[in-house]
Amino acid sequence: MATTSERESEIFCLPVLQQRHVGLSCVWGLGKQLHVYQTQTPPRIVAEKKHITDIPKVDNQEIFDVQWNAEMHDVSRKLVNETHNIFVMLQGQVKSLSDTTLYKQLRKASKQYRAVLKACSLELMQIADLCEDEAHKLKYEQYIQEFEMVQLIWSLCEIIFIDIHPGGLILTPLLDWLRWHFQEGKQKAMEVSQAEQPCSHAHYWESIYRLLLQGSVDNVRKLLALHIHSSSDPFTSVDELLSKMPQWTYQRAQSVAEYEMKWRHWREECIRRYEAGEFAAYTQLETIVQILCGDDAVFREMKDHCETWYHLLVSKLFYQNPTVRLTDLTFDIKPCQAVYSLPSENFPELDNILQAALEFDIHQVIKESCSFLSSRSWWFVSHLADVLHHCGQLDPQKLPFGSNLREYLLLEYATALMSHKSLWQVGVDYLDFCPVFGRAYLESYIEHIPLDSEGKAHKILHLCQERDFTAQAQSICKVMGMRCLQQERLGSALSWFLKSKDAIVIKQVTDRFLTEYCEQGKFSHLDLIDHLGPSMLITNSLTFLGKYREFHSLYNSGDISAASSLLLSLISSRLAPKTFWMTMLMDVLPLLELSQVVLDVQKTYEVMYCLEELQRDSTDNYKNLADSELDKLQCLRKALAKNLSRAIIEEGSVKLVS
Amino acid sequence: MFVAQTIKSEHKDLIHDVSFDYHGRRMATCSSDQTVKVWDFDEANGWQCTASWKTHTGSVWRVTWAHPEFGQVLATCSFDRTAAVWEELSSDSSVRGGRSTNTWLKRTSLVDSRTSVTDVRFAPKHLGLQLATCSADGVVRIYEAVDVMNLSNWQLQFEFNCNLSLSCLSWNTARMHPPMIAVGSDDPNQSAGGKVQIYEYNETSHKWQKVETIFMVTEPVHDVRFAPNLGRSYHLLAVASRDLTIFSLKNIRKEGANNSGGLSKFEIRQVGGFDDHESLVWRVSWNITGTILASSGDDGCVRLWKANYLDNWKCISVLKADSNASEAERAVIHAPSFSNTPTLGSVRYNNSYSNAS
Repeated sequence: MATTSERESEIFCLPVLQQRHVGLSCVWGLGKQLHVYQTQTPPRIVAEKKHITDIPKVDNQEIFDVQWNAEMHDVSRKLVNETHNIFVMLQGQVKSLSDTTLYKQLRKASKQYRAVLKACSLELMQIADLCEDEAHKLKYEQYIQEFEMVQLIWSLCEIIFIDIHPGGLILTPLLDWLRWHFQEGKQKAMEVSQAEQPCSHAHYWESIYRLLLQGSVDNVRKLLALHIHSSSDPFTSVDELLSKMPQWTYQRAQSVAEYEMKWRHWREECIRRYEAGEFAAYTQLETIVQILCGDDAVFREMKDHCETWYHLLVSKLFYQNPTVRLTDLTFDIKPCQAVYSLPSENFPELDNILQAALEFDIHQVIKESCSFLSSRSWWFVSHLADVLHHCGQLDPQKLPFGSNLREYLLLEYATALMSHKSLWQVGVDYLDFCPVFGRAYLESYIEHIPLDSEGKAHKILHLCQERDFTAQAQSICKVMGMRCLQQERLGSALSWFLKSKDAIVIKQVTDRFLTEYCEQGKFSHLDLIDHLGPSMLITNSLTFLGKYREFHSLYNSGDISAASSLLLSLISSRLAPKTFWMTMLMDVLPLLELSQVVLDVQKTYEVMYCLEELQRDSTDNYKNLADSELDKLQCLRKALAKNLSRAIIEEGSVKLVS
Repeated sequence: MFVAQTIKSEHKDLIHDVSFDYHGRRMATCSSDQTVKVWDFDEANGWQCTASWKTHTGSVWRVTWAHPEFGQVLATCSFDRTAAVWEELSSDSSVRGGRSTNTWLKRTSLVDSRTSVTDVRFAPKHLGLQLATCSADGVVRIYEAVDVMNLSNWQLQFEFNCNLSLSCLSWNTARMHPPMIAVGSDDPNQSAGGKVQIYEYNETSHKWQKVETIFMVTEPVHDVRFAPNLGRSYHLLAVASRDLTIFSLKNIRKEGANNSGGLSKFEIRQVGGFDDHESLVWRVSWNITGTILASSGDDGCVRLWKANYLDNWKCISVLKADSNASEAERAVIHAPSFSNTPTLGSVRYNNSYSNAS
């Protein structure tokens, strides 16, 4: 059995043996994931200094991929998704609504959260019923239990902190709370009433007591009417008392004082009839009337029917002090707990949480819930704290970590979601509503989300753009581009790098494009290069690539003069890497062999100058030129000389005319 | 908590370090067997080893990933006095998962150290492709890739001597702060003073300068780690020494004064100190939000630490070897005396363990 202190630090055992000089070490993965491995203790680096040599040899060493919070089973996924909508809508209302309307919405939201919880809980029960695997079933039952506890706490908190009726009686909603969460009495009553002879059913009286302790007077009367002696005097007397019990209504027709007075009169009558011995013939009826009289002793006898101290507390106060104020509940907690000598053996934490709520200590409720319930999910505390925060019930002050309690809890919840492979998108919305740290958290998470596919990368990119995360967007593009580059997908690499606008990496890819062209004589990814647009200007080599491709299109379309002047300007601008000069020069060759002179004297000189520079260049580029290439250059030189003469003549003739 | 997968490491000796890439989908392991292995995760097959190669001529102490913006790049450091940078050659993703072996090329060997290189860490991405190493002779070296697209060319940019044998270093990843490194020393001499030193890069003097020595830690330090800073106004530093200590460092110089040439001045406060590991703490590791710290120590356990909203650090989980494991149980029956006579016992234990499994 786990004690409180053990639960605070969960112990997890790995299937390896503890050995001297071998310990566990670990590294964090993404989110709630650790990789744990065996390693030498002290580390080898230290052991060698200390001359520790008796290190056992561990064969088949294993690394354990340990995860938690990853158990987002289908039902809790539904909880996450549906409450996410409520949360987002509520945050919008917080911004836009006035205090009174907002308050109404907050109460509504609280009820909606509970409704989703209830629905999920019911669904889980169905799944558990159908489940045949024992281990799974047990797990489901644990979840159900946790869901039930969360509902119990939430509805109590709603009564005490959220849905407050000023001037109203606290016990009325508390009785509703009991009826909602303790249904044993109702179920037994059902069984009893369906029996052939209800009053001899084993649970007949028990169900009556249970219902009475929850203030369900009408149902008690129905059951009593089923008794074979129901028309006898003691029975009619009890029935009369029950029917006369003053009822508190929310209508403003009566004041608390009026109700209290009526109650006192009614109780005096109960006591009178009891003391007159009207029910002596039936001990059970006596017990009932003792309850009505608010007799201390009888409540102690009822402890098994109440099951818990908080049930007992509410039942007892209902009959002893029906107009008790919330602030006075505190005094009765201890005596009721004392009736149950041991705290509920399974969950002492639950008792502490409920006690804190009844003591109106919301921070204690949250603190206890954090350490008790959050080990599996921060869902409960974060949503409850959010509602309470907007209700003004939480201390808005800045905590040592830098923001308020609401944000701390929302960050925890979002963190749990961010490590999930699909729910991270929900986590993003929660981070958006964390004013102090949300942005920094989101930035960091975005950098770490695995970019499994182009689609996911685009999705995250979009998310960055919506939020103006320039650095992160750029980083994603670079990462994707590098990946494409590694896989030799130049086109995709370039388009990713273009989005990142990083000149260095873009240059790298364009150089690869040019190399590819030199080798194969054609460009892949023409559509991409043709539609570079203004991004062409990011880096010189890209400008060159785009312009060079433009030259090709012009040439192919027959616009020789435009093509030649573009090529010339490319040559003279020296934008191209030296390795590419050869290719460009060779492109000049066909222009020189046309029937009309395309290059004038000036342009011819320009090309010759470039050719000369290339040949004189002592770098490897030139030295490594193959013989065939040298031949080509020779060819070009001749063609240039020929063209020069033609151009001089042509230009000269023009001069003559003028 | 549950074990999602048990990965057979196939290292021939104990693992020294495991490191995840930025996206948590790739993992590198290194060991005394002088090899590094790279593992890739995919939904269908879980973790699969996609490369394994010999990296050094001595024990490989640490392995670490560069940011994926720079490609698939690893750095290692070793007892053989070198650190090395590795790059993966083009990998066809479709082959991944099917036991293909990817090729990793050594891009450079950093041979400046005259003693064992004890730690190697890439700088945070916003500082470009920089790499810091520290060595047993007390020297920190900071290298920078001259061209991020050509990783064979690294230049030793800075070198400074801390005058204490160094065991570990950590970059502060905060973008809003000048480049900052914490180093830890495993020098056993307690009178040598504080074993954690903090250095900061001074923009105006173009130098790395010591800004703080944490005098509270005089025992040998085995690991230091800055927590990722997600918008906090202070830095958190975890120190693995005789105890586990968490320090908060708050810059008490006005914001913006960083550029005026002055060094930062820190108010250092111990926010957590724990001796739960019984004697020594060896390693520390932060989660990506810097909210949970994992530590490992002499007690053979891994402990997780977390601060509640009042900033009280507490142990939230303990992971330990389970002597009740079914196989282990059998092993214990076969080797009842192993705890008393470690050498003999562990040999016996190993035999029975392999028989059982």
